[in-house]
Amino acid sequence: MIEKTQVIINKLGLHARAAAKLSHLANMFSANIYLIYNEDKVNAKSLLGILTLAASVGNELILQANGDDEQQAIAAISDLFNRKFDEES
Amino acid sequence: MIKSLIITHGNLGHELIQVAEKILEQKLDIKAIAFDWQGDGSDMIAQLDKFVADNKGHKIIIFTDMFGGSPSNIATRFINKNVEVLSGINLPGLLKFFCHDGKDKKFMEIIKTVEQGAIEGINIISEYLGEKND
Repeated sequence: MIEKTQVIINKLGLHARAAAKLSHLANMFSANIYLIYNEDKVNAKSLLGILTLAASVGNELILQANGDDEQQAIAAISDLFNRKFDEES
Repeated sequence: MIKSLIITHGNLGHELIQVAEKILEQKLDIKAIAFDWQGDGSDMIAQLDKFVADNKGHKIIIFTDMFGGSPSNIATRFINKNVEVLSGINLPGLLKFFCHDGKDKKFMEIIKTVEQGAIEGINIISEYLGEKND
């Protein structure tokens, strides 16, 4: 199991389209992947689960993955956050 | 494979689909039927008849906007072992349907998952955040 701290840097935070991209990406991996924010832990493969975090720009999350491709999963998801979900130029 | 359609008062169904497609960035396989305010529902029944006939052999879920409304009442007539109606559909419910992992799940299990997603999408936000901050 690995974890990585991730800051949300896109202006709109984990809104619907970002959550959809994130869950879509997470579903490409076999590992169990979670987002932890404050005391909430949600399945990163669930669009609606991600939305319940109501996480905004500047908030700090923990990305957690457990499984064969956990390294690749965390790297890809972190990259998506750092690319601001490809929604800002 | 589950086939789906959404029947609503006015263009609500079309709009919900368009928004869901924008969020999910994909074309969704769902048909929308708008209830004709001036009509007696016969046109809607004909469209439903055709949809069910065209998708014979598939499970069908019909989403409606409000339990007790004409679209829902008409859709209810089509319920059988292959056709179910889920009323009060909203955006979270629709997203849940198109994001669900249907592997190894029975038809009714999937519908219940969608129902749960729709219900959980309704929150008094201050209370929700208050609970989170307790």
